[in-house]
Amino acid sequence: MTRSFSLLAIAFASALLLLAQAPTPAPPNPANQATLRAPNGDKSITIAHQNGQIYFAADEVVAALGGSVTRDGNGFKASLNNTVAAFGTDSRFGVVKDDLIEMPMAPVTIDNRPFVPWQFFQGFLMRSSALDATWDAAGKILQIHPAQTTAAAVTVSVANVQGISKVVLTLTAPADYNIVKEPGAYTVRFKTAIRAPYVEQAHDDPNVAKTSFIGNDLRIQLTAPDVVADAYRLDNPFRVVLDLRKGASVAPGTPQPLNSTRPVESPGIHTIVIDPGHGGKEVGAIGPGGLMEKDATLALCQRLAAALEAKLKTRVVLTRNDDSVVPLDQRTAIANQYHADLFLSIHMNAAIVKGAHGAETYFLSLDASDKLAEKAAELENASKGPAGPAASSDLKLMLWDLAQQEYLNESSRLAQAVQEEMNRITGIQSRGVKQAPFKVLVGATMPAALVEVAFITNPDEESKIKSDAFQETVVDALTTAVERYKTDYETRIGIAQPAPAVAPTTTAPTVPATTTTKPATRTGT
Amino acid sequence: MRRAVVLSLAILAIIGGGCKKKPLSANLNAENKVQVRPVTLFFEGPEMLLVRETRNVALPENPAGALSIVARELLKGSANAGVPHIFPRDTVVRATFLLPDGTAFVDLGGPTLAQGWGTGSHEELMAVYSVVQTVTTNFPDAKRVRILVNDEPAETLAGHVNLSRALLPSATYVSR
Repeated sequence: MTRSFSLLAIAFASALLLLAQAPTPAPPNPANQATLRAPNGDKSITIAHQNGQIYFAADEVVAALGGSVTRDGNGFKASLNNTVAAFGTDSRFGVVKDDLIEMPMAPVTIDNRPFVPWQFFQGFLMRSSALDATWDAAGKILQIHPAQTTAAAVTVSVANVQGISKVVLTLTAPADYNIVKEPGAYTVRFKTAIRAPYVEQAHDDPNVAKTSFIGNDLRIQLTAPDVVADAYRLDNPFRVVLDLRKGASVAPGTPQPLNSTRPVESPGIHTIVIDPGHGGKEVGAIGPGGLMEKDATLALCQRLAAALEAKLKTRVVLTRNDDSVVPLDQRTAIANQYHADLFLSIHMNAAIVKGAHGAETYFLSLDASDKLAEKAAELENASKGPAGPAASSDLKLMLWDLAQQEYLNESSRLAQAVQEEMNRITGIQSRGVKQAPFKVLVGATMPAALVEVAFITNPDEESKIKSDAFQETVVDALTTAVERYKTDYETRIGIAQPAPAVAPTTTAPTVPATTTTKPATRTGT
Repeated sequence: MRRAVVLSLAILAIIGGGCKKKPLSANLNAENKVQVRPVTLFFEGPEMLLVRETRNVALPENPAGALSIVARELLKGSANAGVPHIFPRDTVVRATFLLPDGTAFVDLGGPTLAQGWGTGSHEELMAVYSVVQTVTTNFPDAKRVRILVNDEPAETLAGHVNLSRALLPSATYVSR
């Protein structure tokens, strides 16, 4: 007992000694202080500067609002009003209520304390207490105020298709606005309050350098002074769209010029987009003999394009006509841009199972994600609104991942025709028509299918793929398939006579009748 | 999307007993209720469809902790030496995370996936759905699976299968 008391006394004395030796806390550096202006009053908070960015002491801010921040494993946990946000120093995303808080940069740890960008509070408070945060850099005030629930939230998307940059501002409610042209920039001025998704964002786009929000203004900084815009609005949901491109402006509503002559709009199959899979550094599968999928698909597609043009007298566009990288979204965007009536993506298959052989044809499966089903319902509801045909058409474009939905039946017919002809003419073992969530088919606003011609990983099929005779056989099969589909479709819509019935056969392969020596010149790829 | 990494690391840290300054327990397995449990893994069979393989694996009771272990077990490949690897051999499971809404995140990495995996759509479908089927079969709370690559949302693994959304399990790719 006496020994225990002695140990306690020594420990107490040691603690006092340590406290005496501890350095006096440094007075707060005004440069590292800011004002938290919350509904319950002002409070000084600690901020930190790193790499030109300002970070806020998360524990101080959340505590001032009645919550707490604690360590949680390698990260941190902020709690307020029974809402918990998790965040860490290696991610610019936090998680709250199954949702994300996006910050411009990851939080940092200073003296074992979490410091976060002010946008963290914006995201966290909106979800935990219907509060919002804004940072007044000039006054060094972090203002916490009731969220403006009446303000329309804005999302911004920037996408470039064939040199035209489409900036789409989607609002949760209609808002009046005007657009001001300034040197090197356009500013969209909303006349009612909006909730901006970010302060500033750079874009990897040929026409748009960055977008930034200042109050209720969105400033679109251009990459060059000669970039001009056409703007228009769409409803359901409310959107403001700016089409930006280099060169002289044209009147709003004027169709964008394409690099080739667009046929007169009329029902039927007039334009076909053929997509040679992969390209550039995206080589695709490689055969045991070294044949690359990207080369095999390009050679085949160039022959196919020539054959389709010659036989069907349709315009044919290749998504690539050389060994270049074309993003998957861009491939379907090209088809949409050309108002194509069919989209056919050509690939070579690969399998680890030895001896795999045969052709497969796919069309898109949308049931791969139940989130898509939810969005489909949203689309359907939105389409029932007062929007006119133009808005309805654009709505499809914006809901990219649902664009293919209404064409699935036609895509299925196209895929069936392709697979039957591949079976009939090439004699390749059928692996059937299948559905899969293939990225390249997602955004197509026309019947679309993906053909896996043969297994490049199979040495026998790799040899075949290299041969002119086999390529012509496949081209013949695909041309016949497209012709069959075209006739069938145009008959169903009443602009063509039904073709004489041809009984499907499984007889020996047909020898190709002709050889195309040189592909026709394509444009717009 | 890096939240997956952050949070799964946090969860693993909790499971590992490394948080809250607790001393490392000699009885860690007991604390985490680690038991050898049967798991069902999916590999590509000779019919070019996914086939089930059951394996006994020591797993903690907490699904969040068990998820990474099961995903890594899948990448080890089949116990049957005749069944080839679906994924490139340098593929790793970087992290996993299970959201309360039933979305499981599996963050894959490795040099081949990072540089661009050159394979066909069949093999990519087999790889993606081996993960989806394995996760949803062993973890009833996981209703769908979102695959990330190197801590970031990925468009595809090899140029075909759309990974920009969580995928539901599909019997299409599984041998009956």
